[in-house]
Amino acid sequence: MLKPKQMTRAVIVGHKNILEETVDALHKANLFQIEDYIEDDSELKIGKPFGNISEISKKLIKIRSIGSLLGVEDVAAQRQDSSKILTDLDDRLNQLDAEVNAVSEKKTELEAELKETESLKSELVPFVNIDLDLDLYHGYENLTVFAGHVQENVESEISKITSSYELRYDPKASVIVLFVDKNKKEEVADALVKVLYKELRVPETSGLPADILAQLERKQNDIVKKIEATDAEIESLNTKYADFILASDELLSIETQKSEAPLRIATTESTFVIDGWIPSENYTNLEQTVNSATNGRAFVSSQEMTKEDEKKVPIEYDNPKVSSPFEEIMNLYSRPTYKEIDPTSLIFISFPLFYGMILGDIGYALILLTMAVAIKKLVSSDAIKPLMNILIYCQVSTLLFGILYGEFLGFPLASLHTYHGVEAGLIAGFETINLFASPIGGEMITYPVHRTHLVMTLIIVTALIGVIHINIGYILGFINENKKHGFSAALFEKGSWIVVELGILLAVLGYVGMLPLAVGIAVFLIGFVMLLKGEGIKGPIELPALLSNSLSYTRIIAVGLSSIYIASTVNLIAFEMIWEPGTAIGGMTIFAIVVFLFGHALNTVLSIIAPGLHALRLQYVEFFGKFYEGGGRKYDPFGYIRKYTEEK
Amino acid sequence: MAEPVTSAVTMMDPAGLQAIGAGLAVGLTGLASGIAEKEIGTAAIGAMAENEGLFGKGLILTVIPETIVIFGLVVALLIS
Repeated sequence: MLKPKQMTRAVIVGHKNILEETVDALHKANLFQIEDYIEDDSELKIGKPFGNISEISKKLIKIRSIGSLLGVEDVAAQRQDSSKILTDLDDRLNQLDAEVNAVSEKKTELEAELKETESLKSELVPFVNIDLDLDLYHGYENLTVFAGHVQENVESEISKITSSYELRYDPKASVIVLFVDKNKKEEVADALVKVLYKELRVPETSGLPADILAQLERKQNDIVKKIEATDAEIESLNTKYADFILASDELLSIETQKSEAPLRIATTESTFVIDGWIPSENYTNLEQTVNSATNGRAFVSSQEMTKEDEKKVPIEYDNPKVSSPFEEIMNLYSRPTYKEIDPTSLIFISFPLFYGMILGDIGYALILLTMAVAIKKLVSSDAIKPLMNILIYCQVSTLLFGILYGEFLGFPLASLHTYHGVEAGLIAGFETINLFASPIGGEMITYPVHRTHLVMTLIIVTALIGVIHINIGYILGFINENKKHGFSAALFEKGSWIVVELGILLAVLGYVGMLPLAVGIAVFLIGFVMLLKGEGIKGPIELPALLSNSLSYTRIIAVGLSSIYIASTVNLIAFEMIWEPGTAIGGMTIFAIVVFLFGHALNTVLSIIAPGLHALRLQYVEFFGKFYEGGGRKYDPFGYIRKYTEEK
Repeated sequence: MAEPVTSAVTMMDPAGLQAIGAGLAVGLTGLASGIAEKEIGTAAIGAMAENEGLFGKGLILTVIPETIVIFGLVVALLIS
């Protein structure tokens, strides 16, 4: 449970003519992780891929591009018989390719046409109010045509220059069309510059602009309709072929994987050597699989694990099903190495515990629990499930602490008598019970625990929880170090911290007069020297971290209080400032309810993020820092998890 | 006849000073956390753009300076 799975290094050797059967069997078993062979100066060369690999990859690329063109999505589909798909794969793929090509070509053409129409339209628009045939804009020997944007009408200016002109002006679009004598071209151009003339391209077509525009608009509508029709065709192709595409993608991926396998394997002229890893519990299974596939002609042997090997063993978690969702939290940090303690099961306890201690509210627990269960039911994604499971564990813990704290959406459930009077609870008649006086800050421990009235006590309690958690970390560090570098290294590196802490504890006892102070100081100094020997100068420098790390756990109460204050502020604004229950119900009542809902919706989101991140940080920084190294490689066996096909 | 000299002594309300102190404790440490997280956050996003697998580590590194404001909050709680 606290260790990764035991792995065995296995080597499979045989004659090349049974390589394909062996690879087939290994792929089907999906247990053996092939260690890639890297060519060196020895006689061993990497193998050649089976079959026509380029043909298969070509098909795979084709099917994937068609899939993305049609927008095929991964959905749970009926499993199909793989042999049936393989037999008519080529025919169906060609047929599909032809159909898709036809449709997509049509669509591209239509889209190009649409673009063309649109650009022509935008060229025409400025001239639409000028009642001239577009043919009249060009083809003159002695006339110059100016057509463009201007700021104002320049007719008076032009008439000063020449009398032989023809001018059309559209004040709405401020477009001018001017025909003048060629000889006056320069002067007119100068006059036009003054009104910021900007030339427009005249569309090369004939007819009245307004007529052409109407025509173009009809054409455009037509094209849009046609594009919609092709989209519908694509959609129908999608529904018709989605199953086939998904299944053949899967089959071709499997084929590629298998035929590329020899590239990872060492071979000689007539033999092959497959080197790799398998969980020890499956080793006999592997032997049987390979033997039955090759009639015992391939030789499987397990290898002694060397120190070098330990660094590159692929790591597979070995946790009970309940705590396995927390492997995601481990992966987010780093996988454990082979000889290390796998803390997944410890996080399974401490993460929801801290989360619950921080949030501790029945209302939010119920809301988030419902949400998590619903998402888990509705979304079938493999990435979401473990996260939702973690959230569910956390909410169960929150619910328990909510009952302990007696809080519901920031309202206290029980009424509390203080110096300032009675604070009413949500449940009428539920009185807070005084249990005993806390030794800190003159506070009274009660049931339910009112966190807002027990701040001092809870700060000390959370710091103490921190000390315990950190010390568990040191003990785990001791075990890890003992396994890796022997007892003395463990004692000096990790044990020294515990001795130092013991020294501090004895010194405190000495300070209050229960022991001679010298005892504490002596133990502390012994610890200090051990630390110096174990960690070097780094150790003493990190000594203050002992204090700051344990104080860091006070975030459990601090973040919790901030969450309570946000919730109770929302309640205060909604049900005291805007509308008080018991007064007349009106528009303000609705407003109060809206504020209440939005405020708590916001705090619900914060209730996932803040306690989650802080609980996580306490694991990663304070806890893991004491023992965990990580950096293990993922166990990724040679094989494929089929989703859409099956072999019959 | 001269006017009697009166001196008015203004006292600051200790509760008010407490509240100001608590506010400063949270506010200033909040700013400090923010400044520190800004730098780390930018670097983390940059690293994530290169390698998405660094999300977890980036997140953790980014929330490390949260400790500053948590201490501020604890001090504020101790004051008030």
